[in-house]
Amino acid sequence: MNAAEIQIKNVSMVYPVNNGEDILALTDVNFDIQEGEFISLLGPSGCGKTTLLRIIADLLQPTSGSVSIRGQSPRDIRMQQKYGIVFQSPVLYDWRTVRRNICMPMEIMGIPKKERTTRITRMLELVGLQDFGYKYPFELSGGMQQRVGIARALALNPEFLLMDEPFSALDEFTREKLNEDLLSIWSKTKKTVIFVTHNIPESVFLSDRVVVLSPHPGRISAIVDINLPRPRENSIRETSEFYEYVTKIRRSFEGV
Amino acid sequence: MAIAKKEQRVVAIVWVIGIIVVWELAAFLLKYVVHDPMAATKLPYPHAVAMTFLENWKMLLEAGAVTFSRAALGFALGTSVGILLAVFMSLSKTMERIAFPYLIVSQMIPVLGLAPIIFNIVRDMNVSRVVIAAYITFFPVSVNMLSGLKSVEQDKKDLLFSIAANKFKVYQKLMFPFAMSYLFTGLKIAAPMAVTASILVDMLGSKSGIGVKILYALYSNSSNIFWASVLTSAFMGIISFYIVVFAERLCLPWQNTTPGKEGVRA
Ligand SMILES: Nc1ncnc2c1ncn2[C@@H]1O[C@H](COP(=O)(O)OP(=O)(O)O)[C@@H](O)[C@H]1O
Ligand SMILES: [Mg+2]
Repeated sequence: MNAAEIQIKNVSMVYPVNNGEDILALTDVNFDIQEGEFISLLGPSGCGKTTLLRIIADLLQPTSGSVSIRGQSPRDIRMQQKYGIVFQSPVLYDWRTVRRNICMPMEIMGIPKKERTTRITRMLELVGLQDFGYKYPFELSGGMQQRVGIARALALNPEFLLMDEPFSALDEFTREKLNEDLLSIWSKTKKTVIFVTHNIPESVFLSDRVVVLSPHPGRISAIVDINLPRPRENSIRETSEFYEYVTKIRRSFEGV
Repeated sequence: MAIAKKEQRVVAIVWVIGIIVVWELAAFLLKYVVHDPMAATKLPYPHAVAMTFLENWKMLLEAGAVTFSRAALGFALGTSVGILLAVFMSLSKTMERIAFPYLIVSQMIPVLGLAPIIFNIVRDMNVSRVVIAAYITFFPVSVNMLSGLKSVEQDKKDLLFSIAANKFKVYQKLMFPFAMSYLFTGLKIAAPMAVTASILVDMLGSKSGIGVKILYALYSNSSNIFWASVLTSAFMGIISFYIVVFAERLCLPWQNTTPGKEGVRA
């Protein structure tokens, strides 16, 4: 087997807090991610999912430990513009229309105008916002804004797609539809995805492996391989294998 | 939305008519009830002032234009300096710590004292007017712009950071557009102040400008001209404000419905 694409070694994160009681957000996190793998980081809120994602993305420096990606540092990867990030909140620019919000990172990366336009149109269709391209963010509901943030990251077709609870603001129907769409995009590009969620069925449906985190202090409590066949469609949620994985992961929480 | 606008207009009309009626009544009382012999000087009839206005509109307009254009020039200059200062201060904490106290001190010098000094240095009425208007303008513009640049959310910066955008791009794509609404708050405060400053400099011995008309009218006891000039000045201040409001509507179409941001007053 090849060396893992992403190696996370002994990563710990302490947030210094003014009153002296520092917050231990992550302690001694170790795991590898293979190239083209779909990984979920699953856990209750406050267990350090966002912290870990931000460390991988070079938005945060770990207190100790290291992340190595293809033998390089996260900073190197960031400077090569290989990350596409969906933040936990939509992070839209209020002064730009939906289309121009999706366009913005592509402008910075120097993608030609014609190519940008095609990608924007395709992404808008994908997230079901084709009629909202010329609206401003304030004219959209929270769920729609979040979908714009998703479209913006997908439009980059990044080597590493990092998503922080991208569907948590959406209703169940939209979420399941977008779960399926995300898988179909991913199956075409086979890029590495790190997907943060607190929804167990979602993590089972999407992932090759689910990294289960537990809080206080944040650490890995289990890593579960999901050996469901691909391509997966939403009907797989009704199979007993699916149900067994969900149960197994739920139990791993109860054991904490 | 349309109904609210219509209501606003009705309120405005009622107010204007109300003020005219009260004024007319007060002038009448002063003259015929209080029997003040100086009534026409203290408070002339509004219709008399209006007549003066109509008779002298050309002269008032010319004088107003001189004052207003210098104010506008100074306003533009002050805005540029203010924005530049804000950008420098936002670039580094040290820069801000060095510059900000000077900004505060600059506002402690009364313009009334500063204007003659400036005039003594430049020896030119037009330049003095522009400089003083600029001096008045730069502070509220700078302070509001800086507050805008410093209010950008970390998430929005992280997005650009994650795709390795350089500093110039960060300012171009995020900091400037974000700070625009703050900038306009500063501009709205500064615009009438620039006009006032320009009028003030008129009065220091200029040969043209609306401030000169006010001064001459005061000395020559022509109270109708005096009042017409004062009203013209007031009008200029209001106009300057609404020009900025109009520019804001044009430049920031996305925030027509969002509530305005708190400004930092000079
Ligand atoms: N900037 C910060 N400063 C201090 N504490 C933080 C900061 N960010 C997160 N934390 C704390 O670290 C822990 C993990 O946070 P986070 O990574 O956001 O968890 P999750 O994304 O799983 O909800 C929480 O207890 C949170 O309060
Ligand atoms: Mg989080």
